[in-house]
Amino acid sequence: METLILDLKKQIIEALNLEDITPDDIDTNAPLFVEGLGLDSIDALELIVLMEKQYGIKLEDPGKSKEIFRSVATMADYISKNRKK
Amino acid sequence: MIKPLAYNIVSSLGFSAQDNYAAVRRGQSGIVPWLDPAGTPIALSHLDREKLQDAFEKQCKPSQKYTEPEQAMLLSASLAVAEAGINPASVRTGFVLSSTKGNIELLGIPDHGLGTERIHLWHTAGLLAAHFNNPNLPLTVTNACISGAAAQIAALKMLENGLYDHVVVTGVDMASDFIVAGFQSFKSLDPERCRPFDARRKGLNIGEAAATIVFGKADGKGISLTRGNVRNDANHISGPSRTGEGLFRALSRTLEDLPRDEIAFICAHGTATSFNDQMEAIAFTRAGLQHTPVFSLKAHFGHTMGAAGVLESIISMKALEDGIILPSLGYEEPGIEGGLNISTATVHTNKRYIIKTLSGFGGCNAALLYQTHS
Amino acid sequence: MKKITAYSRITDSLVILNGKPCEITFSCEPGPGRLAEIYRFLESGYPKFFKMDNLSKAGFLASEMVLRSLHYDMESPDESTAVVFANRSSSLDNDKRFQETISREDYFPSPAVFVYTLPNIVTGEVAIRNKILGETSFFILESFDAEKMMIFVDWAFASAGTRRVLCGWTEYLDGHCDVLVMMVEKESDQGVDYNKQNINNIYIT
Repeated sequence: METLILDLKKQIIEALNLEDITPDDIDTNAPLFVEGLGLDSIDALELIVLMEKQYGIKLEDPGKSKEIFRSVATMADYISKNRKK
Repeated sequence: MIKPLAYNIVSSLGFSAQDNYAAVRRGQSGIVPWLDPAGTPIALSHLDREKLQDAFEKQCKPSQKYTEPEQAMLLSASLAVAEAGINPASVRTGFVLSSTKGNIELLGIPDHGLGTERIHLWHTAGLLAAHFNNPNLPLTVTNACISGAAAQIAALKMLENGLYDHVVVTGVDMASDFIVAGFQSFKSLDPERCRPFDARRKGLNIGEAAATIVFGKADGKGISLTRGNVRNDANHISGPSRTGEGLFRALSRTLEDLPRDEIAFICAHGTATSFNDQMEAIAFTRAGLQHTPVFSLKAHFGHTMGAAGVLESIISMKALEDGIILPSLGYEEPGIEGGLNISTATVHTNKRYIIKTLSGFGGCNAALLYQTHS
Repeated sequence: MKKITAYSRITDSLVILNGKPCEITFSCEPGPGRLAEIYRFLESGYPKFFKMDNLSKAGFLASEMVLRSLHYDMESPDESTAVVFANRSSSLDNDKRFQETISREDYFPSPAVFVYTLPNIVTGEVAIRNKILGETSFFILESFDAEKMMIFVDWAFASAGTRRVLCGWTEYLDGHCDVLVMMVEKESDQGVDYNKQNINNIYIT
C-alpha cells in the first residue's frame, strides 16, 4: 500500500502540473479539494483519466467520484480494491 | 440601421434558413445516435457528407479540393450572398469568419497533402474571401462558443464606422473527433438528445453547421441588430460564474434602459449542462428578465460551436419576423432554481425586441439585441 | 487622448518592459522552459500558471509585466478594462498536444489539455487573475498588423464603460514565442502616443 500511495502522489503531481510540490508535501489523509491541495473541477476530471490510464478503472458516475477522490488515502483504498492494471 | 439582408443555414435540418426554420417550427431535431472515437454511444447533429459535397459542387463549382468545413462555409456564404444580391467582390464588402476549430481534423491526418497552412483559421478565412474575389483582408473571430455573436458585433462596428457597406458573417464548425473527444473528457455530453433547462438534463450534444448573415445599412421595415456586448466572468476558464456575472453585465450593457416587458423572448445559450443553464437563469433574473419567455435551440441543432451564434440568431430573427415565440424543445420538467419563464408552446407576440445570449470557455459571455421595425 | 501607458515584449531571446530589457539570465534553451524562468523572475506567486498551456503562459507573463508595472488593482472586480488579443496560430501549439492524447493506440483525452485548445483562454486567465469583468476578445490574423490591432482596440473602446484596453499579439508555436502586450488608456497624459508607428516600433524591438 505504501508503494501505491507514493506512486499515486507522483502521478497526481504529474497529471495536475503541481509544480514545486513533492510527494512529501502531500498529506495522505488531507482533503484534495477545496482545502489541502485546493484542486478544482478540471483536476477532478484529470483524476478520472488517471484512474483509467494507470489502473484500468473506469469511473462513470461523477457523484461517486467525490467520495473516491476525497484524499490520497481514499483513492489508494479504492484503487487497491478495483484495479485492473 | 444595421440589418440582415439575407441568411443561410447549412445543417442536418437543411441547406437554407427557410428549411431549417420550418424544421424547427415542426419540432424536428437533427440530433441522431452516434459513437465517439472510443465507440461510446453519444448523440450529435451530423451533416450528411455526400449531400454537402453535392450541394457544394453544384453551387460553388470548385476547381480544387476543399475540406468539409470549407465546403460548408463556402456553400452557406455563397447561397446567402446570392440571395442578398450584393457585389461580394467589391472593396466595400467585408468578410468575417467565426470558427473555434476550423480544419482541426487535419491534425489527425498527417499526410493530408493540403499544405502546412491549411490548418490555420486565417487561411480558411482567406478561402472565403478569395471564393468571391474579394480584395479585403477577411477577419477571423475565435472566442470559443460566443464567436458567432462576437463576429456579428464586429460586423456591426464595421458598418457603423463606414468601413464597409456590406459585411458577410459566416460561422462554421464540424463535429471532429478532436472536439467530441474533448467534450467527452469533460463528461459534459448527453448520450441522448439534450434537455435544456430540464431537471433531467445531462449535458450537451455536439452539432455541426455553417451559417451566414449578410449585413448592410438600411432604413425602413425589417429587423436590425441594435446592440451587442461581451463581458467576462473572471471566475474560471471552463466553469460558468455562480453569479452569472459576465452574462448579467453583457445583458445590462446591451439592454440599457429598455423596459424588460418590451422583449418578446430570449434565445438562450441553453446547452443543457447542469451549470450553464443554472447560470443563465441567475443572470437573466439579475437583469430583470425572469418573466421573459426563454427557449434554447440546442435540442434541434446541437451545439454548433463557432456557427451557433450565427445560426441561432437567424432562427430567432425568423421567429421575430413571424411574430412568434418558439417552444424550448427538450424541456419538460422544471430544473432551474429560482425559476425562469421557459417557453413550452408556440405563442404569438407583438413585442418588437429579442435577445440572443451565448457563453463560452474562457469566461466570455455575449448578449445581442435585435428589434423589428414596421 | 489615448496613450500606451505600459508595454511588454517577450520573444525567444528577449524580455522587455517599457522599452528596457529585463535583467534575466536564461539557463535553458529557447522554449517552454524559459517561460517558467520568466515566471520565477517575476515572482508572481500564482501556482495556476503551471496548469496553463504555453500560449496562455506567454500571454499571462507579458500581461503580468504590464499590469504590475501600472500597479493595476487586481483585487477589485472591474468592468472598465477590456482584454483584446490576436495571433496567427490560434492554439495550434496546444492542439497538437491534445491530438497526442487521442491517438488510436493510446486514447486518453485529457480535459486539462483540451480546455486550452482555444486561444481566447489566455484572455480568460488574465481576466481571472486581475478580476477583469470587461470585454474579452480574440482575433486571428496571418501576421502582426498594427493597423488592424488599433481597429480591434477601438471596437473595445466603443463598448460602453470601457476606459482602458489591454491588447496584444500573443503568438506561440513549437517553442517560438512572439508576444507583445500593451495597455491603452482612453485618457492619459502619461506614456507613449497611441499610434501605428509607435506600436510597430514596440513590435520590431
